[in-house]
Amino acid sequence: MRLPRFQYLEPRELQEALEMRALYGAQSALLAGGTDLLVRMKQRLKKPSFLISLRNLRELSGIRIQGKELVIGAGTPLKAVGGSALVKGHFPALAEAVQAVGAYTIQHVRGTIGGNLCQDTRCLFYNQSSFWRSGRQACHKAGGNICYAREGSDRCRSTNQSDGATALMALQARVTLRNSRGLRDLSLEEFFTMKGETPIDLAHDEILTEIRLPLGPPGTASAYERISYRSAIDFPVASAGVWLQSQGGIIKKARIAVGSMGNAPLLVVQAGESLEGRPLQDTQALAKAARVAMDQASAFAVDNVGATVEYRVEMVSVLVQRALGRALARAAEDQGKEGS
Amino acid sequence: MSRVPLRLKVNGEELELLVEPHWTLLEVLREELDLTGTKEGCGEGVCGACTVLLDGEPVRACLTLALEARGASVITVEGLAGEKGLDPLQESFIRYGAVQCGFCTPGMIMAAKGLLLRNPSPNEEEIRKAISGNICRCTGYAKIVEAIAAAASQCNPCEKASFEKKSEEPA
Repeated sequence: MRLPRFQYLEPRELQEALEMRALYGAQSALLAGGTDLLVRMKQRLKKPSFLISLRNLRELSGIRIQGKELVIGAGTPLKAVGGSALVKGHFPALAEAVQAVGAYTIQHVRGTIGGNLCQDTRCLFYNQSSFWRSGRQACHKAGGNICYAREGSDRCRSTNQSDGATALMALQARVTLRNSRGLRDLSLEEFFTMKGETPIDLAHDEILTEIRLPLGPPGTASAYERISYRSAIDFPVASAGVWLQSQGGIIKKARIAVGSMGNAPLLVVQAGESLEGRPLQDTQALAKAARVAMDQASAFAVDNVGATVEYRVEMVSVLVQRALGRALARAAEDQGKEGS
Repeated sequence: MSRVPLRLKVNGEELELLVEPHWTLLEVLREELDLTGTKEGCGEGVCGACTVLLDGEPVRACLTLALEARGASVITVEGLAGEKGLDPLQESFIRYGAVQCGFCTPGMIMAAKGLLLRNPSPNEEEIRKAISGNICRCTGYAKIVEAIAAAASQCNPCEKASFEKKSEEPA
């Protein structure tokens, strides 16, 4: 499959890249690892006239603690994020999510955490070659007004299948978006638009530069679970990221994010809240939270990523329970070490 | 559209090419350099037949723009054998019957080479994980895993001299 033609721009540093973004705007696309973008270009889903390569922008790569946050450069390769002692220590859910992405030889060397977070939504009826799609009229996401995933839907129902995005949603990540004149700082809830056609709030003149995670006190734990057809290469058909903060054996706060259901990682607020005040060993509360998450997810799941909707929704409950189980064990272990 | 100069190293040889921006590294290797060992199996990054080493690490040549490899060192399967003969991996694949139709083989060997460069003594799980991005329709993978394990036990530590590894570790 051949790529469409484009002009290749190679800025040497961030300011130059931002000025190119300001100049070319909607006609440009950012090239980080390219493992999502280039496939879509080969399928003629995206046809940017200008590709702005981020390969020379060393300032976009790096993992460091800054005050009360862990700051991860959006251009940091996935293998560095997954292998980082800081990430594995403070945010194991993110390390687990990133290690589960695709396969080492596809995304982990060239793919970046920013690219994974900004991964476009997917649908079996959309992510196909232009030849395949030429058999019928364009769907919502492709610029038409029909949905093949959910009959009669007046909007796009494509699915966010990003492992990184789901884990980061559970971990309360914030993103820094820069343009040539300044920056915006958004929570992930603000970053995702809930619109399948344009899933993220990244303006045409902006570049995502940093992902920031709030560090928690001892007793903070997280975990990520996913299920897919094969053990590698495939996108998850259901996934769950959980984060919790505990003190003295009691859960103070919890966040549960469900992935591969709906056009953004689904933050199941009710399920997380149902765990507040429960002791770490409360298996009933754990099962209840998993059921709440499953019920919420069922409203969003659409049959467009393979496996049946019934199975995927049921797996949400299983994955949330597993992730919670591991996070709670981590929190208990953490507490034991602190002796609190 | 006019061509753009591209300087990169392929199998140890410094090259100056003129490429179109939209050409992938795979197209340049096969069509400009006649290095047809690297295969196109899917064109979208899921089969692994196009795996090459870029600065010592395995990547998908079909999803890497040629221009993105500017200044880098690329090793293809043609670059493995040297004056001393075949690479231990190549010898092992032959001896253990890990080759049937052979189409996945260059990609498998490059993925395996990437593994042995970063982990000279992998266990079976690590081998399987390292080739999990490479699809084989013929062998059922068993012989491939055996061949890689055998090659690992033979070449320890693995030769790094001919590969320039650019460190990508952040601060």
